[in-house]
Amino acid sequence: MRNGGRARLLLVTLIVTSLFLITLDLRGVKVLDGFKQGSQTIMSPFQRAGSAVLSPVKNFFSDVTHLGRTRNQIEKLQAENANLKSKLINRKNADAQLKQLKGILDLAGTAGYKIVNAKVISHGSSQSFSQTVTIDIGSNAGIKKNMTVLSQYGIAGVVKDVYPTTALIQLASDSGFRIGARIAGTQQIGILTGRGTRSAGLQLLDNSTTVKVGDILLSRGSIANRPFVPGVPLGYVTRVDNSAGAVAQTATIRYYTNFSTLGVVAVVVSGPDSNPGDALVPAKPRVTPIPTVTVFVTPSPSPTK
Amino acid sequence: MLTRKFSIAVPIFLIIYVIQEAFVSQIRLPGGGFSILLIFALTWAVLSETEVAAVIGFAAGFLMDLSQTAAGPFGQWTLIMLLAGYAISYIGYGDDNVQANALGIIFFVVIANLLVEIAYVATGALLGVPFGSFLQILITLFGMSIWAMLVSPILLPIFTRLHAIIFDSRSAL
Repeated sequence: MRNGGRARLLLVTLIVTSLFLITLDLRGVKVLDGFKQGSQTIMSPFQRAGSAVLSPVKNFFSDVTHLGRTRNQIEKLQAENANLKSKLINRKNADAQLKQLKGILDLAGTAGYKIVNAKVISHGSSQSFSQTVTIDIGSNAGIKKNMTVLSQYGIAGVVKDVYPTTALIQLASDSGFRIGARIAGTQQIGILTGRGTRSAGLQLLDNSTTVKVGDILLSRGSIANRPFVPGVPLGYVTRVDNSAGAVAQTATIRYYTNFSTLGVVAVVVSGPDSNPGDALVPAKPRVTPIPTVTVFVTPSPSPTK
Repeated sequence: MLTRKFSIAVPIFLIIYVIQEAFVSQIRLPGGGFSILLIFALTWAVLSETEVAAVIGFAAGFLMDLSQTAAGPFGQWTLIMLLAGYAISYIGYGDDNVQANALGIIFFVVIANLLVEIAYVATGALLGVPFGSFLQILITLFGMSIWAMLVSPILLPIFTRLHAIIFDSRSAL
């Protein structure tokens, strides 16, 4: 009986403590931020080590899930993989990061963004249903909260939290992600919302305008370029929802960035002097012409024997 | 006595937390993957008295809240894990059908894993945390349960052995 009473008292104390923590957090008490910052500072060396150790294999399972969709590519890779040796795996990883980095620099250079490059050292756990990554630079490198983060193809996310040597990025695929978007060319504006996957939802602000499949979306930009700089490629329209009764027109968007393979990103520390407009609209893939040979055959006047 | 046991248990919790954050989270598993810390805490809760299980849940939840990827307010995981730990122990502790049977523990852990995640989504929704589409949540919940089912049998001998060493339990499997 006495034990039962003690257990109940302990349980009540712990519940009250938990509710107290939730209340403090919702009221924005900074002590709890300090707890999180401290733990992140301690964790970042371990995450770097983990990233280095698991780097060659961490995307293995996500690659496996795409087997059916990319059969030709897989067959080609299987043939190549047969010839690969273990030391080349690390080289391949470095080459992939170099390619991403080159893409980012091209993108930032065209628009006039001032960027700081960073390596992704940790992916967020799915247990909390959030889409985040941790990068290896933080406030020591001039990173601040609410800065735009780019991948080689366009938007990657936004800086959510900053620690001295690391920063937490909310990916554009996160359900809580919102960004003002405009359609390249027509300049219609709307709001893009993450859906937890590579697809996103677009809601146009003006119902009298139209959107069509294939339209390209760019970021609209924010005041003082934070959280979003203008002109960043977001994605393209894959489906238009034509509901007659809808207050605003909506569409489904596919992001240019593949969030599961992010290795290198760039944080925009300073926006462009002038709006880059549609300068960053990705070029449409060019179809390589295939030469055709036409053979004309003229029948001979006399039949052959 | 209990204080001494918990002081030994704390480093183990921290090691599991580091393994989760630095290694397990790095591997992009289909369907959301699994949380080694969650499975660890639930396994220990099944094997412990209600009092101890509540403290185990509280500690694990606190560490999960410390994770930078926790989407909800600080304390949400703490509250859920505390209640989950207490509830699991209340149902399972002293029941030989559960404790003396490895399959019983695995069943408990997998079901508890799913219920804890559902509770997290439900309370998160009440607190205004965005979790994505309903379908996406269902897929993640299903994926996490499958992973918990696959991983729990592998980890169970280690976790029960650790529990037996620290809490002098008879339920090492």
